[in-house]
Amino acid sequence: MKQIISIKNLSFSYSKNEIIKGLNLSVNKGEIIGLIGENGAGKTTLLNILLGLLPSKNNVQVFGKQPGSLIAKQKIGSMLQGDLVLSSVRVEEFLEEVAMQYSNAIPLEQILMQLGLEQQRRKFLKELSGGLMRRVTFAQALLSNPDLLFLDEPTVGMDAQARHVFWEHIKELQRQGKTMIITSHYLEEIQQVASRLIILQKGQFIFQGTLKELQDRHKQTTITITSESEKPNFAELMGVVSVERNSSQVAIKTVDGDSTLKELLLKYPDVSNITVEHESLERIFLQMTKDKEQR
Amino acid sequence: MINIMRQLKFDALRLVIRNKSFLFFTLLMPAGFYLLFTKVMVVGSETEMHQFYMTYMGSMTIYSGVIGAIFGVSTILKRDRDKGLVLFLQMTPTGSKNYYISVYTITVLLNLCAVIVLGLLARLVNNVDLSLKQSAMILLIVLVGQIPMILLGTLMSYFKTQETLSVASNLIAFPLAIVSGLWWPINTMPDWLQGIGKVMPTYFANNLLEKAMLHSQFDLEDIYGIITWIVMMGCLTRLVVKIQQKKGLRISEA
Repeated sequence: MKQIISIKNLSFSYSKNEIIKGLNLSVNKGEIIGLIGENGAGKTTLLNILLGLLPSKNNVQVFGKQPGSLIAKQKIGSMLQGDLVLSSVRVEEFLEEVAMQYSNAIPLEQILMQLGLEQQRRKFLKELSGGLMRRVTFAQALLSNPDLLFLDEPTVGMDAQARHVFWEHIKELQRQGKTMIITSHYLEEIQQVASRLIILQKGQFIFQGTLKELQDRHKQTTITITSESEKPNFAELMGVVSVERNSSQVAIKTVDGDSTLKELLLKYPDVSNITVEHESLERIFLQMTKDKEQR
Repeated sequence: MINIMRQLKFDALRLVIRNKSFLFFTLLMPAGFYLLFTKVMVVGSETEMHQFYMTYMGSMTIYSGVIGAIFGVSTILKRDRDKGLVLFLQMTPTGSKNYYISVYTITVLLNLCAVIVLGLLARLVNNVDLSLKQSAMILLIVLVGQIPMILLGTLMSYFKTQETLSVASNLIAFPLAIVSGLWWPINTMPDWLQGIGKVMPTYFANNLLEKAMLHSQFDLEDIYGIITWIVMMGCLTRLVVKIQQKKGLRISEA
């Protein structure tokens, strides 16, 4: 696999605050990295370093060169937080201005059609809604036909429909073999596309791996059942960590969902309304960041 | 070259053609001042008045350059930087060079337009007749004389907030115009103020314009004065840009 990004022991401080602390990362071609972290965790700072907008030493390489090199600029598309809402500029004029900066730009008509912006092309940027403006910014990121995309909170301001369309585009780009680093607060969405998840907290990676690895490490399943009898002692079942009863409704939390369920059905065949729920990425993330905070 | 022309078209549309207030301040305001002052200050013989109509036209051209650079360039650069346009361009293969060339070219072209507007007014209202050689000299002096002003505008664009920039622009532009004798003759001011006014770049440019209009010999002191200001402002701008780059583009743009 061709390595696109290499970070070795990267630290970054600003005004005596250490924002990034000793990060190591390697990203290969075609990978989609979901970068998750609370506000102020250092996600945007890391993207800015990779874009060459913040200084770094020789420990960061993008396409085998220092961030901000001409090669990197030609191959990177970025959708940063905050849209370029220039006053007195129409959508098509803005995108033409962007296209002008690249020798390998995609034809404007094609990008307008792909992102459904044909109706908006003559509109002034300031007339667009937040979601539409975000789409224009996405068009701006794709215009250079980049190999590597940095998407920082790309769906902020988009409604549910627009977010769905956006992630469909991301899946299409994934099929084309594009490499992406995406930060987002919508964890359930990011897990659909990310080939690797990275959780960043206070400038440090507290997890790097696939969604499955993350779930395995924090695997907790909640089995909800209806049991009229008060007698059964569900806490004795294999893997159970807690049992909560609310009249006839019982929530059993277990670290070994399969075994618990098997034993439950064997021992208590009279239980009904069984639902099994795996820990969501959001809950794992909240738990992980809380645990780390308490340490 | 094609890219510069496209950038010029993009910036001319958004900054000038669709921004009427910019045109008003750089073209119409100096023209209004010229009409007002040449009709109010009627003192002296006919020859003296004719000279005044000519030299005051030069003063208002310089004043237009001051407005264009200090209010125009600084505000455009600051606003575009705050909005993220400059940062975005710096992330692209072509960088922000064409953008800066375009903004400066538009500023200079607008000032040259001011020369034409004021020249036409002077001719139509005050019967000022300039030869082709005089007109060419005026254009050249305006072009060179505006360089320190544009560099000053660029430096001012690095003020942290729009409010600070606005206050600073007012505190610099108007006193600069007054002390260097663009509004009233410099010899009507106290000696200490004349001392300050006579080292300003606008004073040197205004003097050169006056000499060009009155067919007098250029004073080397004025030429050296402007060159000194260009070198000084150039070094200062370079220093500030270097400091900003060292901090990292993202921090310097914040």
